[in-house]
Parts: sequence; structure tokens; C-alpha cells
Amino acid sequence: MAAPSPAPAPPVMSAAVTAYALHVPGDKPGTLPAALRGPACDGPEAAELLGRKGLLAKDQATRLALCAVHRALGRPPRAPRPTGPADPGAAVVVSSNLGNVATVAKIARETLDQGPRAVSPMDAPGASSNVIAGAIAIWFRLGGPNLTVCSGATAGLDAVRLACLLLRAGRARRVVVVGVEPDDADAALLHAARAGVPPGVPLRAAAACLVLEPAEAARAPVIELGRFAGREDAPAAWTPGELAGDLGDTYGAAGVLLTGLAVADVEGGGGPTRVICGDPEDGRRELLVRPR
Amino acid sequence: MPVRIAGSAVRSCFGDGPATFAALLRAECGARPLRHQDPARSGVEYGYEIHDPTPGPFRASAWLADCAREALAAAGVDPAARRTTAIVGTGLRELPAVEAMAVGEARFRTESLHFGAALAGAVPGIGEVHTLAGACSAGGHALALAQDLIELGEADAVLVGGTDAMTVSMLAMIGRVAETPTTRVRPFDADDHGVLLGEGAVAVVLVPDDPAGSAGAAGRAGHVRLLGTGLSCDAWHETAPDHTGILRAMRDAFDRAGRAPGDVGVVYAHGTGTALNDPAEARALAELFGECDPGPLVTAVKGAVGHTSGGSALLSLAMAVHGLEAGVVPPVSGLRRPLPEAAGLRLVRDAPMRTAASTVQIDAFGFGGVNAVALIEAA
Repeated sequence: MAAPSPAPAPPVMSAAVTAYALHVPGDKPGTLPAALRGPACDGPEAAELLGRKGLLAKDQATRLALCAVHRALGRPPRAPRPTGPADPGAAVVVSSNLGNVATVAKIARETLDQGPRAVSPMDAPGASSNVIAGAIAIWFRLGGPNLTVCSGATAGLDAVRLACLLLRAGRARRVVVVGVEPDDADAALLHAARAGVPPGVPLRAAAACLVLEPAEAARAPVIELGRFAGREDAPAAWTPGELAGDLGDTYGAAGVLLTGLAVADVEGGGGPTRVICGDPEDGRRELLVRPR
Repeated sequence: MPVRIAGSAVRSCFGDGPATFAALLRAECGARPLRHQDPARSGVEYGYEIHDPTPGPFRASAWLADCAREALAAAGVDPAARRTTAIVGTGLRELPAVEAMAVGEARFRTESLHFGAALAGAVPGIGEVHTLAGACSAGGHALALAQDLIELGEADAVLVGGTDAMTVSMLAMIGRVAETPTTRVRPFDADDHGVLLGEGAVAVVLVPDDPAGSAGAAGRAGHVRLLGTGLSCDAWHETAPDHTGILRAMRDAFDRAGRAPGDVGVVYAHGTGTALNDPAEARALAELFGECDPGPLVTAVKGAVGHTSGGSALLSLAMAVHGLEAGVVPPVSGLRRPLPEAAGLRLVRDAPMRTAASTVQIDAFGFGGVNAVALIEAA
């Protein structure tokens, strides 16, 4: 038993994880828990899950993100997209550092090689770094605050943190949090140029989605953020290094992906689990996932 | 609960905050032939650049770092002494470096794409630095979350930043979709449409609004309060705005601020000069202020400073603070004949107008349908 903390614990933010999905293309058996492996796809086969309409111009990260949200929301394959007014109480927070770099790099090369008429207006949304969050909002009719976090290795848990802030501030009743990175050639080049990642750990395309609601509103595993006075000895921790050997590095997706794994552990009967993400350059963040 | 705007700092094509506000009052236009970009690549010849005699990489970071130091000094806030978080809104991050890499011109540490290291170096003691990509309303979203952090006791002060330099890719897209090339931005103009990018950075320091006066100990108190910022996402189209989504953000701002549209004396509109934004925004404003007689004065800064993307909301905010302090509203630079949708709006034209108004609305909308509307008030 840990000794009681001598000082009053600082306020802790919490939220319930009412749904989640991990979407990691090509994961080897044994890397992710079997129950979490699904039809993970990022190419044209994403249409098998999402339906064909509207996918053509989407980049790899956006397709991965849409698949993860589709699965987290429990929608059947090729279910018709929601219609009607957007839900103003449903927010979207995306964490991604490299999601649109391929589009930006492509446009830069096209303009240099062939001049301005060579670029396609279809690529216009991808020139802006918030393209994924906007696409999720449109696809699933989510009209609440819409954020994209690009803070590097901490971005995944920063996104969870900001999602909790949206709930606490009464800006949303439900937040769809997505961590996602692609693995195209430009993204891989940038990943290799990170100072904060050990050499030789490859970038891995992945998406993960958590649906967060106020902790008191739902019967589901709970995440807690804040300072973990008295909790430093929580028995297990998911860290990026734990998956690096099998999975590679998922960078901005890592915090959300690891939180999803911890939620799966807790749902499987496990005790409180710490989740840690970050690197020596960008800093470190952590949270706790516990049973209700 | 309102928070206090304790300090701000600006970089635009005109220079610092006072220089930029003076240019607005003169209805100047800062657009020039582009010097740091090659029109043969982007198809765009004009823009509102910050002219650097010796342009290096990572210009958006450098401007932001300068603004952060200045704004914190103006506010009297020492990040080493108080829990100070930073939230930076940006449309394009440091994507100019990615574009240079793509054509073989640069190698750099990927961490430089976001603003954590730039701010940690510029303002020692700063806590967490969040980089939010939110297109042209990113700064407004940062402002909203900053107020939440203070209200919920998670930070003692927040440095809110917005910064963007031009990218070839965004210029090329703007050029590609323009009906005809343009040489300047004319917000709410009926005859001339088209947006041009601006470059700029803004930093604003928020602190708790302490009526007991301890704000003095916590930082030199500014004269203006941030009442609240409303957020919404259209969830309708990736690049075209929707007036119902815009209205939701406006109404959210009034709900959070505890004010009614009739309280507002001045609106700093988003006003991009495009055929998509301006009619949608004018329609939303007409609906919001439909019951108000005579309704607020409406101005917009982009005719003077261009579209500064992630910095845009905070640049309008900083100019609105200058305006409140001076009791004056700058005119819309470049406006000749207003759009039919804006016929009922009291657009400020040609020359500044004096006003005793104490409550100001600031609009910002962006790609992805992301909307942020802030309300500020003279203290």
C-alpha cells in the first residue's frame, strides 16, 4: 500500500472512455490484443468499411482516422453516413504531426516542376494542417469544437487532456479523440529527422479513437489526468517503447493508441494502468486508466 | 467568469501593434509584390509579407518568440514564477520547412515543425506549450481554451499565440481557385473578390480577472477583459463556410459571456474578401443583430494586413484592444461598394469613427468549418 500523500492532492480531471477502437494496418498477431484487431486498412480497401463515396480525395491519415472513428462508434461496414443537422455537443480532437505533410510536399514539388497550374484543387483541404478533424466532423456530423493538436511526441495525451478540458468547460457532452499518423515517404523522412526518437525505430501508420464523456455520466473505464500524487506506483504502464519493437513508432498517435490499450486491459479485469507518452525533446505526459 | 487581457504584442506587414493600428486608421493597404515567394511557382504575385532583409527558415517561430517575450513583459508576468501555459494557434505550422525538404533544400529537426522549443527558448519557465492547427481561426480556438484553463484553475496565466508565414502550397491553392488574380483584399466588396495571404504573429497574455485588485501583484492589469469565446464546427464543407455553423459560434459566445447582441458596439469581422466567406458572414451578422437598432459598427482588418491565417483572430483582437483604448474604430481598407448581403450592416468606410462602445465582437472562421467568436469589454 502506498502511504497517503502528505499534501492535499491537486484537482484531477477525469473522463469516461465510453467507446474506443484501434486501427493499425498490418499488425502482426500478438502485437495488439486479438479483440482489438479489426479490418485495419488505409488504402482503397477503406471503402469496405466506410463505403466508397467521398473517399477518393482523402489522404492516408484521414482514411485511417475515419476508419477508427467508424469502428469506435460501432457502425456496421458500409453503413450509410449520418445525415441531418450536426450534433453541436459532439467535439472532435485530433492528434497528428505528419498527417498532411505528403500533400504539402506534393504540391511543393508540383509547383517547382510544372508551375502553379499543375496543382489540383482537390488537394486544397490538405494544404491546411487541420484537414483530418474537419473531415471527421463532416463525415459523422459532429458540430462541436474541432481541434487539431500538433505538439510532437506529447500530442496524443495532449489531445486527451484538451478533450477533458472541453468536457469540463461545458463545451461538449462527448468528445471523439483521434490519434493518427501516416507512413508515406515524406512522413517517414520527417520521422527519421526527429531528434527525440531512437535511431532505427521506423514510423508506423496507425490510428486510434477514444470517445470521452463526463466521468459521472457513464459506466465505463475512467481516465484521470493531473498530478499523480500517491499514484506513482500504479502497477502497469503502457509506454511508446513497449510497442516499438513490434509496431514501430506511432508518434502523434501514440498517446491515444496506448490509452486504448490500457482501456482494453482494464476492461479485461486489470487494475489501474498508467499511460506515458512523449520523448526527451517534447517532454513527457501521463495519465491513469482505472476501472470504475 | 471573464479573464483579463494583461498584455499583447503584434508583428504584421506594418510592424508592431501600434504601427499596425496606425496603418489601419489611415486605411492603408500593406499588399506588395511578393519578395520572399516566387510567383512563377505559386501563380500569386501579391501578398502582405513581413519583409525580412535576411530571411531565414522558421520565420513564424521567430516572430512568435519575439511577440511572446514582449507580451509577457508588457503584462508583467514571469512564467518562471507562475504556472504559465502556452497555446499557439497556427494554420500552417512551420510547413515552409517541409516544402523546402520536399524539393531537396533543407534538413532540419522535425521538432521544429511545432512551437514548443521556440517558446521554451524565448520565455524560460514556460509550462506546457500546445500547438493547435486550426486554419484561419486557430488563434480564436487557442483563446477559448486559454480562458477555460484559467477559469478551471489549471493555469495562473496563459500565453496565447498565433503565427503563420506563407507556404507555397497554400499560395498555389489560393491562386488555383481564384477567378481572377487580385492585388489586394477588399472585405465585403461587391465587385472585387479574392483573398491574399498575410504574414504575422500575435501573442496575448491572459490572467484571472481579480476584482480585489490582486491582479496587480499577478501582472500589470490591462484595461480590457475577455468575456468569452464561442466555438463551433460547421461539419458541412471542407473549405466553404456555412452561415448556420457561424451563427452557432456567435450564440455560444454570447451564452458564455452573459451578454446579448444588443450590448455589442463594434464587430471586427473575419472579412476575407472572398465570394464564399463574406456573404455567409454578412448573413450571419444580419441575423444575429436583426433586432438591434442601430446595430454595431462593423470593420475588418484584412484589407490592410491580409489574411494572417492562424494569427488572424488574435490580430483582430489586438487591434480591437487598441480601438477600445482609443475610443475609435478603423475603417475597412479597400471597401468601395458593399455586397448586397451586407447592405444592412454599418460598415465603417474610408475614415475611422469615434465610438463610446465598450463591448466588441471578434470573428474568425477557417478551413474545415472551424469557427471562433470572441467578446471583449473595456474594464
